[in-house]
Amino acid sequence: MMKQLFPIRHVMGYIASLVLSAAALAVIYLDLSKTVDIIILTVTAIIQASLQLFVFMHIGESADTKKELYINIAYALFVGLVTIFGTLFIFLWGWYA
Amino acid sequence: MKIDASKPLEYATEENSNKIFGFWVFLGAEIPLFATLFTVYLVMVDRFASGPSGKEIFEIGPVLIETFLLLSSSFTIGLAIHAMRHGYKKAMMVFMGITLLMGLAFIGIEITEFFTYVHEGATLQTSGFLSSLFVLLGTHGAHVSFGFLWGSVIMYQIWRQGINPATANKAFIFSLFWHFLDVVWIFIFSFVYLKGLM
Amino acid sequence: MDLEKFKVHGEPLIYGAMISIALATIGIIVGLTVFKKWGYLWREWLTTVDHKRIGVMYILAALLMLFRGGIDAIMMRLQTAAPDMKFLDAQHYNEVFTTHGLIMILFMAMPFIIGLMNVIIPLQIGARDVAFPRLNAVSFWLFFFGAMLLNISFVIGGSPDAGWSAYFPLASIEFSPTVGNNYYSLALQISGIGTLITGINFIVTILKMRAPGMKLMKMPMFTWSVLITNIIIVFAFPVLTVALALMMFDRLFGSQFFTMANGGMDMLWANLFWVWGHPEVYIVVLPAFGIYSEIIATFSKKNLYGYTSMVFSMLIISLLSFLVWAHHFYTMGQGVMVNSFFSITTMAIAVPTGVKIFNWLFTLRKGRITFTTPMLYTLAFIPIFTIGGVTGVMLAMASADYQYHNTMFLVAHFHYVLIPGAVFAVIAGFHYWFPKVFGFRLNERLGKHAFWWIIISFNVTFFPLFLLGLMGMTRRMYTYSEETGFGPLNMLSFAGALGLAIGFVILVYNIYWSTRYEPRDTTGDPWDARTLEWATNSPIPAYNFAVVPKVQTRDALWSAKQDNIPLFTEEITKIHMPSNTGKPFILGVVFFFFGFFLVFSMWIPAIVAGVGIILVMAAMSFDRDHGFYIPAKEVIATEKKLRGETV
Repeated sequence: MMKQLFPIRHVMGYIASLVLSAAALAVIYLDLSKTVDIIILTVTAIIQASLQLFVFMHIGESADTKKELYINIAYALFVGLVTIFGTLFIFLWGWYA
Repeated sequence: MKIDASKPLEYATEENSNKIFGFWVFLGAEIPLFATLFTVYLVMVDRFASGPSGKEIFEIGPVLIETFLLLSSSFTIGLAIHAMRHGYKKAMMVFMGITLLMGLAFIGIEITEFFTYVHEGATLQTSGFLSSLFVLLGTHGAHVSFGFLWGSVIMYQIWRQGINPATANKAFIFSLFWHFLDVVWIFIFSFVYLKGLM
Repeated sequence: MDLEKFKVHGEPLIYGAMISIALATIGIIVGLTVFKKWGYLWREWLTTVDHKRIGVMYILAALLMLFRGGIDAIMMRLQTAAPDMKFLDAQHYNEVFTTHGLIMILFMAMPFIIGLMNVIIPLQIGARDVAFPRLNAVSFWLFFFGAMLLNISFVIGGSPDAGWSAYFPLASIEFSPTVGNNYYSLALQISGIGTLITGINFIVTILKMRAPGMKLMKMPMFTWSVLITNIIIVFAFPVLTVALALMMFDRLFGSQFFTMANGGMDMLWANLFWVWGHPEVYIVVLPAFGIYSEIIATFSKKNLYGYTSMVFSMLIISLLSFLVWAHHFYTMGQGVMVNSFFSITTMAIAVPTGVKIFNWLFTLRKGRITFTTPMLYTLAFIPIFTIGGVTGVMLAMASADYQYHNTMFLVAHFHYVLIPGAVFAVIAGFHYWFPKVFGFRLNERLGKHAFWWIIISFNVTFFPLFLLGLMGMTRRMYTYSEETGFGPLNMLSFAGALGLAIGFVILVYNIYWSTRYEPRDTTGDPWDARTLEWATNSPIPAYNFAVVPKVQTRDALWSAKQDNIPLFTEEITKIHMPSNTGKPFILGVVFFFFGFFLVFSMWIPAIVAGVGIILVMAAMSFDRDHGFYIPAKEVIATEKKLRGETV
């Protein structure tokens, strides 16, 4: 019963997400350079997001929509990242100085 | 209505799997929505004018509790769907109930946090930075609140009607929504709070 | 309560508008009561979930808005027809050009296109309906009540007056103290939600509901264009949602997003607006490309040249459309690097667009061309749109743009793009698909009459604006002195605008005339066309196809006719249909009041309406309607009747 209610994949995913959140705390408690900090945050966040997507949300479970779902997320990320970095490019990095 | 027994209940009819697919497309639309809010936040983050900066108002304690609650609730809604697929109605209801309670606790802590900010003189009207902070957190919080209401309606329907293709479909879609809110929170946790406290 | 803020003062024009709105409303109510049509209206239209009826309502609303926006246009052209005109004052001129832009793009072009896709897409892919028929009704009513909310601003409280792009700080509460821009943020938000839902609905419909055998690369070109358009809708509209919400927060709750002090950044609005705004241009233009592709193939009696390159050029356009937005504000202050980047991406879009133009030309080559009304619009589109495109490349050069920026040259450019690229297309599509929906064609003689009026007048109206722009006339100026020398060309442009109005009146008269006198078509395929929508009867029965077609080739109907490949092989069986529902309409009404109360900062009624929205949505979740079946016997009888056979 316990095994059926608590599948190992989910439990591992949950523990991993807690560990990753704790690891991200390094940026405030350890004295690292700003670049290293941003890399830690980015890497832990991306792994955590992927955990949710693949382990919990079962994005790949339905064979007839798998490809479409990946394209959907990829397109959304494309637009999202273009908006974020394009705007920062315009207002911060590329602003007339 | 044709029911395909080889698939989980929530995918069993054509309408059901279309709904799941459609909801994924909606989540696809939520990504640029939150990306835009992050854009605004990242442009505004150093524009705190005469008001406080992030470093001055953020407190790691409540944020860690919020993070723990949301990560755990994402785990329990996953367990609820797993139980649903095995047909355990009672276990499913318990896991879903725990999920919603943790969501409620999250909202409670966030509201307290907002009150603390306002009490410290950090309001929506104070600076560009604070406007963008409140709207980013508020949009996420509004999603969680909506999720709480939505989840409650679905729990009621499962309690009354049991697990059938229609309710299983709704519960599964709700779980996608809830996991997605966790994804958004991870980015808020990392790039708003931790980056702000760096 | 302070009633003063609801009132709009001054002009006889406004009072005229109020009286005509009141008279029209009374007229409609009296008419419906006298002819006992309330029940009919509710049962057959307001509660419908049938994609064809929803499409027809979209198109009706779009035509209505075309005239509203058209009257705005004539007022603007009249006000600037001669130096120092006193027809409108500066404030009303501002309101008129703002609503003209908003209405023409968001409440005319968009719904016209969404209406055509509602009517045609399920037919073209051989489906019985869209994936989510009830959500489709929700989409329509949100769009409709959003549009109504914007329209009442003219008589209650005042219209938005900061341009359709509503740049801050001008659109802030400080410089636009009337409720006009509150209307802007809320009306667009409500109809925008509807559009987003449409986007999701059609992506699922096209990807999941196609007839057996119709692989992606066998879809008709219009279906492809609509698929890509809806992908852009789904990923671009959330940006507008956020931008409008922030605008609302700034104006209603005093936040500091786009303010000039306290760390706000007015330019961020322009940035977000165009992150959505440029893809929006492709949202209205891509379906037009699809419509033209269908029409050219049909009336050249050839299959479309370069199908694959057509699809890929649209995919590339959809990605590039998200990479060019900064070309709308080259002069804002960003550095050379930024402008160079966006200059290059902008010019890159001309490449896939050019590919499409050549594909159309090669389709025409050696074709057996028939010059029907829809074909005439298509043929006129190619050269006119090319002028629009080439002037676009001129504007894309950042350094040159410092000269053209915000002049009438720009105004001429985007009218040369959007009118052939959207308006001619929807008119062509309207003429082309009209017999499918209503069972008779529009009269060709009247149609061609209207065509010549519209094409010639269009050039007379907008070509002088290129010259005026180069002479230095900026856009949005409400008057000018005689010494500028702008007078004669503006007068010519006004004459053109009147000609356009005559053209559109003939177009509408044609609908009336054809309804009464045009012979009825019983073939279902009056143009000898190529795609599946022409394989069923006209007018289309509620269930679309008595039997779901089996597709083997790209132009499924054409090969069925040429090579005798049967499309319909199965027996007629009972057909499952969704039932009508009044909840989407009610949801629209509640959203309307929610928006209206927020516009006037009436908090308690707004909260009540907000709770109402949640309750209606909850009620929709509890709906346990499983639709109904049309028995096979009834289907067979309907089929016979539509084919003109006696039952």
